[in-house]
Amino acid sequence: MRLFLILAFLFLAGCSSKEPLYNTQSYVFGTLVDITIYGESEAKAQALSNEIIRNFQSLHNRLHAWHPSELKTINHAFSQGKTPAVIQPDVAMMIADATKLSIQSQGAFNPAIGKLIETWGFHHDEFKPIRIDKNKITSLVQANPQMTDIIVENGKVFSKNPDVQLDLGGYAKGYALDLAVDYLRKQGVKNALINIGGNIIALGKHGDKPWRVGIQHPRKPNAIAMLDLESGWAIGTSGDYQRYFELKDKRYCHIINPATGYPIQGVQAVTVLIPPQSGAGTLSDVVSKPIFIAKPEARAETAKTMGVENYLVIESAHKIIVSQRIANRLTWLDKDVAKHVTQIQP
Amino acid sequence: MLRKFNLSKIKQRYPKPLIGDWGVILASFTLIIFAFQKFWVFEHASLLKIRQGNQIIGTFDLNQSRELQIKGPIGVSYISIQQGKVRFKQSPCHNQYCVHQGWLNHAEQVAICLPNQISLQLMGSKNSYDSLNY
Amino acid sequence: MTHSIIEINTTAADHHIAKLTSLAIGLHILEAVIPSPLPGVKPGIANIVTLYVLYEYGFATAAWVSLLRVFASSLLLGQFLSPTFVLSLTGAVFSLSVLLFAQNLPKRYFSAITLSIFAAFAHIAGQLIIVRLWLIPHTGVVYLIPIFALAALIFGLINGLITAKIIQQK
Repeated sequence: MRLFLILAFLFLAGCSSKEPLYNTQSYVFGTLVDITIYGESEAKAQALSNEIIRNFQSLHNRLHAWHPSELKTINHAFSQGKTPAVIQPDVAMMIADATKLSIQSQGAFNPAIGKLIETWGFHHDEFKPIRIDKNKITSLVQANPQMTDIIVENGKVFSKNPDVQLDLGGYAKGYALDLAVDYLRKQGVKNALINIGGNIIALGKHGDKPWRVGIQHPRKPNAIAMLDLESGWAIGTSGDYQRYFELKDKRYCHIINPATGYPIQGVQAVTVLIPPQSGAGTLSDVVSKPIFIAKPEARAETAKTMGVENYLVIESAHKIIVSQRIANRLTWLDKDVAKHVTQIQP
Repeated sequence: MLRKFNLSKIKQRYPKPLIGDWGVILASFTLIIFAFQKFWVFEHASLLKIRQGNQIIGTFDLNQSRELQIKGPIGVSYISIQQGKVRFKQSPCHNQYCVHQGWLNHAEQVAICLPNQISLQLMGSKNSYDSLNY
Repeated sequence: MTHSIIEINTTAADHHIAKLTSLAIGLHILEAVIPSPLPGVKPGIANIVTLYVLYEYGFATAAWVSLLRVFASSLLLGQFLSPTFVLSLTGAVFSLSVLLFAQNLPKRYFSAITLSIFAAFAHIAGQLIIVRLWLIPHTGVVYLIPIFALAALIFGLINGLITAKIIQQK
């Protein structure tokens, strides 16, 4: 009897060293969403994750750029002239926030260029090479749709410029991260890691060590580097390797320069790290784009304007630029890469 | 009641362990507790290494859905990778120990089909990360 | 041509040992046929015979009986030279090596229980080493250590008690 009890104890002792890590993956926002919760019972973690996924799904449906949605209705109203459309308070807030960021980036971040994005064929789930209509692109650029054309008043919205079409693709994922983290905090969760299509925000730690994230190599199916993501920090990357097509040996990615109307060439990926603050998730999604779009010599200045101190630019496997602040945080995983890294002065 | 009766009778009939024996038993217990605490720390696995004989067939990402067929000396073993876990689905061995291992999903977990000389090994995250940014 | 006859003189002890060896083989095969929930974890009841022979006839005979058991069983089970055979042989060699030294422990303080436990641990140690070097050449083996160690203690203890009883009754 004693022997049995001792054995049972040993068994339990062994079992309890399993770490309380819950992980779930699902396909929302047209991308992979990965939620990891540490230190909660499986039942609670599962319930919370399910709720988050539900909220994401709902947000995704409301903000869909090319399926029928609240956003599409608003866009339609814009194109019809100055008749206002009804707008929900949270969407109104998103527009206000995005406008502020657009101004801050001097127009580099511009969610109003939905028409351009559609012209390049990126309003589909899969991307095929398109016939580039130079004239159409030129006229779309000249139409100059800006976030500042949008007016929100008394629960209604209209646009001064009928060529404004909202595409919140570069904003919604980050926004959703902030929503999720707020929700988890309110539910008393101390430690979690949320990944929406590659954008990650951290809450607390992974047990007694910080959450650790890998950064995708732009051209290989593995991580190029990794770093610790401390509580409240968010990381986002804009890259040319997920949404793109190739035409005549040239790569056309989904990050379009609003000033020229053409996708950016010459940069493979830009990663930004955002320190804890309200809206960190949103910033991690938005802020990588202006740096991606900026000319090489203007990147440092752009980063400064956007308030980013930790960033990494991968032009190619042989040219990687890191900011001073991020340099020490990175652990390079690809051996060939480390020697091609240069540090930029802040 | 009947069991208790038999147990004390059994205790009477069997020789009692000597002092040295008790020492050995106690020391073994301590060793075992230590072994459990040291080696039974579970962490999510991210990579799978498959070996056949003394060859590495390949290293696979565990986060995918995939079926594999590996040929060994006694036939083909079917391996199933399902979003973070892996198992021997079917194997031509007699005892089916490998199949009965069921799903593996923690680092350092291993399933082997001895007769077919195939081993599935899950790798831990000492050099890897919790999530990937892209 | 005349037949030549070679006579082998056998003693009663030889007969007894032969019977014990066949008993060991029988027990080993019995265990091999009964499925166990965890591969590699078996009560090892044939080891009772080995231990008993050690006490009654000395180390050399015990080694002989043990190794003969391993070879004969594997041939009978059709596992000769298979991985199972190698594991069985390794276990036997390691146990015997430990018994070679353990048999000199003072009998006032250490009974067959100790020897059985030592032999059991040595057995699994040998097997884990082979598994590590040959079958799973990676640190994944550590996952098995606690379970095997626990089994070694439990079954070592039980087998030791049984052996001690058999000796006591003699």
